[in-house]
Amino acid sequence: MNTMFQLVWEATQQTIVMVFLSTIFSLILGFPIGVLLHVTGSEEHGGILPHPAFYAVMSRIVNILRSFPFLILMIVLMPLSRLIIGTSIGTMATVIPLSIAAAPFVARVIESSLKEVDPGVVQAAKAMGSTNWQIIVKVLIPEALPSLVSGVTLTIINLIGYSAMAGAIGGGGLGDLAIRYGYQRFRPSYMVAAVVIIIVMVELIQFIGDRISGHLISRR
Amino acid sequence: MQITLKNLKRNYASLHAVDGVSLDIPSNTVYGIIGRSGAGKSTLVRLISMLEKPDQGEVYYGDKRVDNLPKDELIQERRKIGMIFQNFNLFASRNAEENIAYPMEICHMDKEHIKKRTEELLALVGLEGRGKAPVSTLSGGQKQRVAIARALAVEPQILFCDEATSALDPQTTRAILALIKEIQKKMNLTVVMITHQMEVVRDACDRVAVLDAGKIVEEGIVSDIFERPQSPVTKEFISALTTVHDSVVRWSEDGGHYTLRFRGTKTGDPIISSVTLKTGAVFNIRAAGVQEVDGTEIGVMITDIGPDKQIAAEAIKALRNEGVVVEETEEGF
Ligand SMILES: Nc1ncnc2c1ncn2[C@@H]1O[C@H](COP(=O)(O)OP(=O)(O)OP(=O)(O)O)[C@@H](O)[C@H]1O
Ligand SMILES: [Mg+2]
Repeated sequence: MNTMFQLVWEATQQTIVMVFLSTIFSLILGFPIGVLLHVTGSEEHGGILPHPAFYAVMSRIVNILRSFPFLILMIVLMPLSRLIIGTSIGTMATVIPLSIAAAPFVARVIESSLKEVDPGVVQAAKAMGSTNWQIIVKVLIPEALPSLVSGVTLTIINLIGYSAMAGAIGGGGLGDLAIRYGYQRFRPSYMVAAVVIIIVMVELIQFIGDRISGHLISRR
Repeated sequence: MQITLKNLKRNYASLHAVDGVSLDIPSNTVYGIIGRSGAGKSTLVRLISMLEKPDQGEVYYGDKRVDNLPKDELIQERRKIGMIFQNFNLFASRNAEENIAYPMEICHMDKEHIKKRTEELLALVGLEGRGKAPVSTLSGGQKQRVAIARALAVEPQILFCDEATSALDPQTTRAILALIKEIQKKMNLTVVMITHQMEVVRDACDRVAVLDAGKIVEEGIVSDIFERPQSPVTKEFISALTTVHDSVVRWSEDGGHYTLRFRGTKTGDPIISSVTLKTGAVFNIRAAGVQEVDGTEIGVMITDIGPDKQIAAEAIKALRNEGVVVEETEEGF
């Protein structure tokens, strides 16, 4: 029993680290792309620097990456992990493909949140002599904040799911535990423990995300 | 600051949204631009306020040409004008005073100055003590007051109002227009007021230009335009004025083939009686009243003139000689 607790606890920690780091990295990658997609998009959708050609190429790349099945993307990106971290197995090695897989999703989520910002408000900011940077930082992001928080919540929840899948190919964490112990060694208790913890994590993140977003809206 | 427009044109695909507009907007006035929906008002105001570049033509603020400025200069120049909108366009992420502070923040003014100026502006628009209020808790009129304060934050010389009162009820509209007029006088502003409501022109503007299908069809001092509207669009706007119905008393629901407009002192002269004596015309008055346009009284009378066409024509001639504007109306108003 003691060893099970220890194994589950370790796997949980690994999952938390994996999800935490890949959330950060996928935001670092995806957030600027999302902003770029929004600002270079068409004027009707609130683009402040419309650039149809750039937008079309960027949008295509994002779509292609998003339509890749995650497991295949993982396998394709393994060599990249080996190049950067020196190994293609383990928690840290999983963070890289996870982040890259989630980045296009993040980009779309950010883009669609920014699209919701009232174009009239952006026009007002422009009329007052805001630079494009000021419009992004002082208008678009603050105006879209509650929706951006919901988007990040959704990203984290997706990453929890992805990280469990990543476990299947040697990534560590709760998914790995469920497969190695629960499935391959016929210990259903491990499977159940892993699944329950994942469900609790998802619920918790959703709850916290909703609270923050709700709080931001209630202050308006 | 005087604004001069020279032959401005802006097309959207094959649509001539603004089609050769030339105007002189004198400094220190409230200048109305009225037109029906789709006439090109918003497009025109975007061109004048440097939000969009014209396909052709020139815009001058004073002697400075502003329609072809390079990006950095454009941003600097925009920081010297104020603009308010139909939907207020306040930042939901900021409370009232943070909204007012925005234009000062983006010019990197120091915090102390911003704070002081914000207080002054809140007082100016009658919202003392409401600075901390989230925008969503304000009424429409209060939102527009915040927007006005925000527009005035950088002490502009020009204020653009695009349908600034269209989302407000009549009472609030009057209050906001009074505020704009008051501020205009206090700050010697040039106010460009875009509207589709003739009462806004009547209550707030000194001069007006009538825009139709991208072209200026009429321009002049407001009381002149009310007295002698030339274009069909202008006549339509004037007859659609709700207050005409309010202030003009109607005796009969029937016809009334002619609309007579009298100006100023003539309102008091016995013109009708003297025309009757001179020509033998008979007036059957259907409706009559006095409209006040920007401090000038204009009498309005809707009448049939008899007993026959010939005498009626003579009577009309006599009326016109007296300076009365006579219009044939199809079904009165
Ligand atoms: N960005 C745009 N792209 C294409 N067409 C446009 C654009 N902006 C305006 N138009 C067209 O130009 C014409 C004039 O539009 P504008 O918004 O200037 O009219 P308006 O007088 O302000 O009308 P309203 O009273 O309804 O606001 C309309 O036919 C409109 O459809
Ligand atoms: Mg408009």
